[in-house]
Amino acid sequence: MPTTSDQDAKVEPRAAMSKTPEKRSKTSEKRSKTPEKRRAEEEEDEEEELLPVDVEGSSLALEGSSDSEESLFSGLEESGSDSEEDDEDEEEEGVPGSAVDPDGGNSQETVEEGEERGMTEKERALLKDKTDEYDHDSSDEEDIRNTVGNIPMEWYKDFPHIGYDLDGKKILKPIRNKDELDDFLDKMENPDYWRTVPDKQTGSEIVLTDDQVDLVHRLQRGQFGDVNFNQYQPTVEFFSGEVMIHPVTNRPEDKRSFIPSLIEKAKVSKLVHAIKMGWIRPRRSKEERAEEAGRYYDLWASEDPNAILGRHKMHVPAPKLRLPGHEESYNPPPEYLLSEEERLAWEQLDPEDRKTTYLPRKFSCLRAVPSYSRFIHERFERCLDLYLCPRQRKMRVNVNPEDLIPKLPKPKDLQPFPTTQSLVYRGHTGLIRSISVSPTGQWLLSGSDDGTVRFWEVVSSRCLKTVQVGGAVRSVAWNPNPAVCLVAVAVGCDVLLLCPSLGDRLLIGSTEQLLSSYQPPEEKGEELVVWTTAEGEEHSQGVRLRLTHPKAVQQVVWHSKGDYLSSVMPQPSSHLQVLVHQVSRRRSQNPFRRSKGLVQCVSFHPLRPYFFVATQRSVRVYNLIKQEMTKKLQANSKWISSMAVHPAGDNVICGSYDCRLAWFDLDLSTKPYKMLRHHKKAVRGVAYHPSYPLFASASDDGSVIVCHGTVYNDLLQNPLIVPVKVLRGHTVTNDLGVLDVTFHPSQPWLFSCGADATIRLFT
Amino acid sequence: MSQLQARFYTENKKYAVDDVPFSIPASSEVLDLGNVINKLLQANNGSHKQVDFDFLVKGVFLRSSLAVHMETESISTVCPGILTGSYDKTARIWSPEGKAVMTVAGHTDAVKDVAWVKREGLTSWLLTASLDQTVLLWEWNSERNKVKARHCCRGHAGSVDALAVDPTASKGLTTLRPFLPVTAVPSEEEEEVAAPANRPRKKQKTEQLGLTRTPLMTLAGHSEAVSSVLWSDADELCSASWDHTIRLWDAETGEQKTTLTGSKVFNCVSYSPLCRRLASGSTDRHIRLWDPRTKDGSLVLLSLTSHTGWVTAVKWAPSHEHQLMSGSLDNVVKLWDTRSCKAPLYDLAAHEDKVFCVDWTESGLMLSGGADNKLYTYKYSPCKTDAGA
Repeated sequence: MPTTSDQDAKVEPRAAMSKTPEKRSKTSEKRSKTPEKRRAEEEEDEEEELLPVDVEGSSLALEGSSDSEESLFSGLEESGSDSEEDDEDEEEEGVPGSAVDPDGGNSQETVEEGEERGMTEKERALLKDKTDEYDHDSSDEEDIRNTVGNIPMEWYKDFPHIGYDLDGKKILKPIRNKDELDDFLDKMENPDYWRTVPDKQTGSEIVLTDDQVDLVHRLQRGQFGDVNFNQYQPTVEFFSGEVMIHPVTNRPEDKRSFIPSLIEKAKVSKLVHAIKMGWIRPRRSKEERAEEAGRYYDLWASEDPNAILGRHKMHVPAPKLRLPGHEESYNPPPEYLLSEEERLAWEQLDPEDRKTTYLPRKFSCLRAVPSYSRFIHERFERCLDLYLCPRQRKMRVNVNPEDLIPKLPKPKDLQPFPTTQSLVYRGHTGLIRSISVSPTGQWLLSGSDDGTVRFWEVVSSRCLKTVQVGGAVRSVAWNPNPAVCLVAVAVGCDVLLLCPSLGDRLLIGSTEQLLSSYQPPEEKGEELVVWTTAEGEEHSQGVRLRLTHPKAVQQVVWHSKGDYLSSVMPQPSSHLQVLVHQVSRRRSQNPFRRSKGLVQCVSFHPLRPYFFVATQRSVRVYNLIKQEMTKKLQANSKWISSMAVHPAGDNVICGSYDCRLAWFDLDLSTKPYKMLRHHKKAVRGVAYHPSYPLFASASDDGSVIVCHGTVYNDLLQNPLIVPVKVLRGHTVTNDLGVLDVTFHPSQPWLFSCGADATIRLFT
Repeated sequence: MSQLQARFYTENKKYAVDDVPFSIPASSEVLDLGNVINKLLQANNGSHKQVDFDFLVKGVFLRSSLAVHMETESISTVCPGILTGSYDKTARIWSPEGKAVMTVAGHTDAVKDVAWVKREGLTSWLLTASLDQTVLLWEWNSERNKVKARHCCRGHAGSVDALAVDPTASKGLTTLRPFLPVTAVPSEEEEEVAAPANRPRKKQKTEQLGLTRTPLMTLAGHSEAVSSVLWSDADELCSASWDHTIRLWDAETGEQKTTLTGSKVFNCVSYSPLCRRLASGSTDRHIRLWDPRTKDGSLVLLSLTSHTGWVTAVKWAPSHEHQLMSGSLDNVVKLWDTRSCKAPLYDLAAHEDKVFCVDWTESGLMLSGGADNKLYTYKYSPCKTDAGA
C-alpha cells in the first residue's frame, strides 16, 4: 500500500532526527565509561546482530525517545498523534460504506486536519519550530551521521572508528570502558537496563521508550506495527459482476469496437482453412467418444489373478539329454571300445543311421583328451531341437471303451424276430441253392442240385410236389403277384416257368388262360431267347414255358408286378449278361449294350422303375424309363455275392464273399451306410422281410444272422441296425453252409436252405 | 324236447332191469333217471325201497341233464368210429380197436380236417375238408360199409384247413367251413359258413350226388389265414388265426363279438363247455388258456409250457373240466391238468414225427395223429395201445 510505505518513509527520518541529541549526550557519557562497559556493549552488539529486528526496533525506538525528549519535533509529533486520534475519532464516527481507501483517505485527512488545527492554537509554536528546524536539521540526510551505509559493521571491528560523518571525518567508536562489573552493576541498578540497546552505527546505547518496546513486542508476535491498523477491514470491490447504472469511466466507446477486426478476420479464416483441410477436426460428440472407448476393453478384467494360467499349467519341460555313459568316457572299459571292423562299419554308416554319434576312444590321461570337435555343433542342434520341435502335452483321456459303443436297443425289445428252429423240410438229396415263398405264405419252393424243384407246405413241412427239371437248379423265384400263380426256375441254360397248381383254383385257371392266350406276333425279329411252350410230359409236370438262353442262367428274379422277369448269365466281358423278359408278350430284351463287369445278381426296385445290377465290386442303379444309370454304389468289398432291396426301395443290402454285409442308404451316399462283419465265412444270401423291420444274411459258416433294421420315414434319421440273433442249424458240408435265405411274407419267420439238403424254418 | 333211447346195465343183480331200450326225455337228469329205475324196480319187486343211483354214460358219470351231457360229448352220439384225414387225399374210418373200416376217397388234394356230423341209425354223415378248397359231405352206411359223397361245398378261395360242426347237429345240420390260408385277398380273410337251412331241404338235395353248395354266411375280419374254428355255443363260434387273434363271432348275425389278441400265430384252439375256457396252441411252444367272456380280450389265464415245438393241436377232455391234451411238432403228445400248470400229467412220446392232431373219444380214449402216418390211441390209464396205421 502506498500510504503505509509513505508512513514508513516518514518514520525513519523522524527516528534519525530524534536520535541525534540523545546520541550526542550519550557519547559524552560513554566516553566517560570504563572499558568493561564497552566490552559489555560490544557483547550486546553481538547479540543485536543476532536479532536484526531489534536493529529496526532500535531505530524505531528512537522515534519514541525523540518524541519524549525533544520538543523540537513536537509539532510534528503532535500532528502525528493528532492524526492518530483523529483516526480513532473517525473510527468512532464510523463512516460506513465509504468507497475511499481508509488508510490513504485518513492520512490525507489527518494532514489536512492537522494543518487546520495548527492554524488555531499552535500556529505560533509551530512556526517557531519550523524556524528551529531549519536551523538545526533541515533534511533527512542530516540525520545520517555515519556515511558508510548499510554494511555489516563488523568490518570496522578492527578500527578505532566505525565510519565517517558527512564531513569525511572519522566517527570514533565510543570508548567502551564498561567492564563486567560495571555491566553487572548497571544491570542491577539501572531499571532501564533491559530496554537499553546499543546502536551499531554509532556504537552508542539507546534506551527504548515504552512505545518502542510495545512496537518490538508486537512485531515479535507477528502483528502489525501500527496499533490502529485494522487488517480486517471490509474490502471494496471496484470491479464486480454487478452491473452498475453508470460506467466506471466516462470515456466514450472506441471506434474500433464498431469496426470488424481485420486481425480477427485473418485468424478466423485461418481456422476455417485449417478445418477445411482437415488439419483441425471438429470435436467429437460424447457418443463417439464413448464408442471409441467401448472399442477397447480390459482383456484380463475377468481373469482370476490367483488362477494358474494355461500356459503355465501346460508347461512342458524340455526333454532331458541323455546322460553320458561309459562309452563317452575318456578311458572307457575295453568292452566299449570298437574293434577295427566295427569302427569301419560305423564310419561307413550314414550319420543318421549310427547308433551313437560318438566313437569311443581311449586316452592315457585326461590331459591328453583333445577338445571335442562337435561340441558347438551339438549345442546348436540341441538349441534347434528345443525351439523347433513344438512340445505339447498329450491329453490322455480315460474313456471306458464300452461308453463309446452307441447305445443300441436290446434285442429283447425288438421282438418279434425268428429265434428258434421250428421245422425242417427234408427231401432233397442235393444241396439246395435257392428257395422262394409264395406270396400267400402257404407254400415254399426250393430248387436243388439233385435236379428237382420241390413245393412244400409251410406249416406241415410236407413236400406236396416234386418236379424233375433235369439239371441242377440255380435259382427259383415265385411270382410276387398274388393274382398269378407262376414260378420261375433257372436250370442250366433254361428258365422254366412252372405252374405249381397250388392255391386257388381260380387263380391257377386264370394263369393257365393267360399263358395259353398268347398270340405270336406276325413279324418275328431276331430272338435272343427261344420261348417254347412245354408239352406232353413236361406239361403234366407243370412246366408251361421254357426260355432257352444262350448261356447258363445263374439267377432269375421277378418284377413286383409279376409280368417282367430278369435272368442273369454271368460271363466276364460279355454284353449279354442280363436279360429282361416279358411273360405276357413272350419277349426278351437285353437292356445293356456294354458290359460293366461280371454281373452277380440283379433286382427290380419294388416300387419305382429302377433296376439294380450288382457286379463284382459295385451296384449300379439304372432308371429303366430314362435308360440311364442313376447311381453307382461302391460296396467296399471284393466280390458281391447277393443283394436285396428294402421293400420301401430306399435301402439295399449286399452280401459279399469276403464275409461282409453292406447296408446302403440310397438317400445318403454311394458308400455303405454300415458294414456288418459278423460272419466268419462268405455271405451267400441276404434277404429283407417284406413287412417287419428285419433282414438276414446266410453264410458259409452255417449260420444265419438276423438283424433288426428299422428304416424311418424321416429322412434325417438314419436306419437303426441291430443284430438280434444268430440262427444255427445247418451243417456245413463241402465248405458250403447256408446258401439262401428268405422271409415269410407275413410272419416273422425265416427260411434258410443249405448244402446239407435241408430247408429250415426259424420262428 | 327230443327223446333219447337208453338202456340200463348194472353189475348188481339186485338192481338189474330189463335190457330194453327206454325212451327218455333228453332233459332228464340223474334224479329223473333214478326215479325211472326205482319205478321199474318197484314194478318188479314191491318191497323195493327208494335208492339213489349214479349213472355212467359210456364210462362217464352223468352229472348234468342228458341233453347237456350228450352235447358235451356230441361226437359220442354220432361217432361210430374214428375218422381220420390224410395227406394221401383220403379220409379213413377206423374202428375203436384200430381196424381200418372204410377209406373215403374223393378229394383231389390232401384232406386237412374231418368231422362227424350226425348219425341216424346205421347211417352216419361225415365231413372232410381238403386243400382242394372244397368240403365234402359224405354219407356212410356202416352196415353195408359204403360211403357216398352227398355234397360238395365250395366257396373258399384257398385250402380248407379246419371245420367245425354245430353241436346241435342232431336237430338241424349246420356245417361250418372255415378255411385256412389266404389266397386272393391277403388283407381280408374270409371265413364262411355253409348251412343248409333245414333237413328236408337238405334231403332233397342229397338226392343229387355231389350237389354243390355255397356259403350261407361269410365271416370276414381276419387279416390272415384262419387256422382253427369251433362252435363254442349254439350261436357262437370261435376262430383262431395267424394274425395273432382269436375272434368270437355271433353265428346268427355273423358279427364279431370279441377279439383275443396274442403275440404269436395261433395254430389251434379248443373250448371246454365244462370249465368255459378256451385253450390255444401257438407257435411259441405255449398253450394258453383264455376266458372268452372277458371283453378286453387279452387276458391270459394260464400258460402251459412244456412243449419244445409249435403246439399244433390242443383239445379239452369232453368229460373232465381240468384235463386237456396237446400235440406238438416236438413229436410229443401231452396230457395236462390245468390245476398243475407247471408240468403235464403225462408225456405221450409215441410218435416218431410231428404230431398234427389230437382228440378224445367218448369212451375216454385219447387219439393222436402225426406226420409218421400213424394214429395212436391212448387210454387214460398209463397203459397205451397202438392202433396201427
